[in-house]
Amino acid sequence: MSDARQFGELATQLVMESRRSTQTDTLLKYNDSLVRSIIREQRDLEKVAVAHVLASAALPNPPPALMIIQTAIARNKRCLLAYHHHRISFLATLYWSLGASLPPLLSAESTSIRAKLSPHEVDYLRSYHASVMSFRAEFSQELDITASITQPPKDLHVLVHVVRDCGVIQTESGSIDFRMGRRFMVRRSDIEHLIVQGYLEEV
Amino acid sequence: MSNWAAQYNRSRSTHAPAALLQDEEDDDDPMPPAIEQEPEPEPEPETPLEQLTRHWMNERHAPDILPVQDDLLGKLLDHIRRQSDTIQLLRGDPSTSEEEHIRIMLAQTEVERVKFVVRSYVRTRLFKIESYARYIVANEDVQTRITTAERDYASRHAQLIDRHFHNSVLQSLPESQTALDDTPSFMPSMVTEPDTRRAVFAHALRNTVARTPDGKTIDLAKGSLTLIAFAAVAELITRGDVELV
Repeated sequence: MSDARQFGELATQLVMESRRSTQTDTLLKYNDSLVRSIIREQRDLEKVAVAHVLASAALPNPPPALMIIQTAIARNKRCLLAYHHHRISFLATLYWSLGASLPPLLSAESTSIRAKLSPHEVDYLRSYHASVMSFRAEFSQELDITASITQPPKDLHVLVHVVRDCGVIQTESGSIDFRMGRRFMVRRSDIEHLIVQGYLEEV
Repeated sequence: MSNWAAQYNRSRSTHAPAALLQDEEDDDDPMPPAIEQEPEPEPEPETPLEQLTRHWMNERHAPDILPVQDDLLGKLLDHIRRQSDTIQLLRGDPSTSEEEHIRIMLAQTEVERVKFVVRSYVRTRLFKIESYARYIVANEDVQTRITTAERDYASRHAQLIDRHFHNSVLQSLPESQTALDDTPSFMPSMVTEPDTRRAVFAHALRNTVARTPDGKTIDLAKGSLTLIAFAAVAELITRGDVELV
């Protein structure tokens, strides 16, 4: 523990990152070094606290310094957890907005999101996806609970413009080869996930 | 549209498979439900879709998880399935007339819209379950309000979060700091609980009395709109005396 720093200063920086992330609605890169420094601070604080406890064993009341250290420990820990929780909540929101599919989040090429994640966050997303999928399986084929809930459907069919090739898709009127640049009138529920994932655009 | 629907209902009776389409046409516009339901003073029984819409609105506005409407949901989903089957049947039938095709399309659109409400309802609950996973796992009272699938999801989610916290942070901390249920003074609890004191807009469907947690009673006249703490009306919502808007 460096003496030049105040208790909890690093943790404040960490929480500020979460705050910035919320305000700009972007996910910042996982701040591994800062998290590690705080964990180091926690270990040091713990040692100091233990030393205080041993030294004051004979006293009737614990020394005030111990309380300050314990408060600092509790606060740092909450800040660490808050930072991590904020990130996975952000990821979950992103996951749902992409139609509950992992590839757009984790593919190496499409976005830079994956580069911003810690390995544990990638693991978390995978297990989260598995959990959501098994919840979805509880419902019948008729109802895909992962489909969009932002706009109530007004029309059955929708005119779409193909932005990226997405191969042959089965629709109610047979299979259609969605090639870039073409336009199709298709049933919304058949291709909604492709709109969400950015393959098709509504005209 | 109502004119059309009436005519449709009459002609429909001659067409046996289409009989299932009826309910969908009756509650034609499910989207702005609260407003639609209000001006009807006569105690008409609610259709399943109106019920779902009410529960959906309640769920969206309540801070806590409300009792699940499992039977209602099952009934509606069965209905949707039968509708879709009927639609498939009629679409495949070459003797289906042009006019009927338009009706089929309307019924299909309605099915999609009902599905939207069901989906939104399920997802709203799922969001709350994620937020309060640890609280739900520890609280048996809440568990009676959710389905088995939701309960499984809650415990899975609580585990997921715990594991992530453990892997990212807690395993590197000293032994004494690895608990996830500390109760240090002057800090909020580590287990997030729904804030039942949050204010909600309660629309009274009958004359009823709300009881606040500190023992005060407030009369809610039928049709009145009251801004009140959720805890005071939670039971009335379950009974159906009050809806949230």
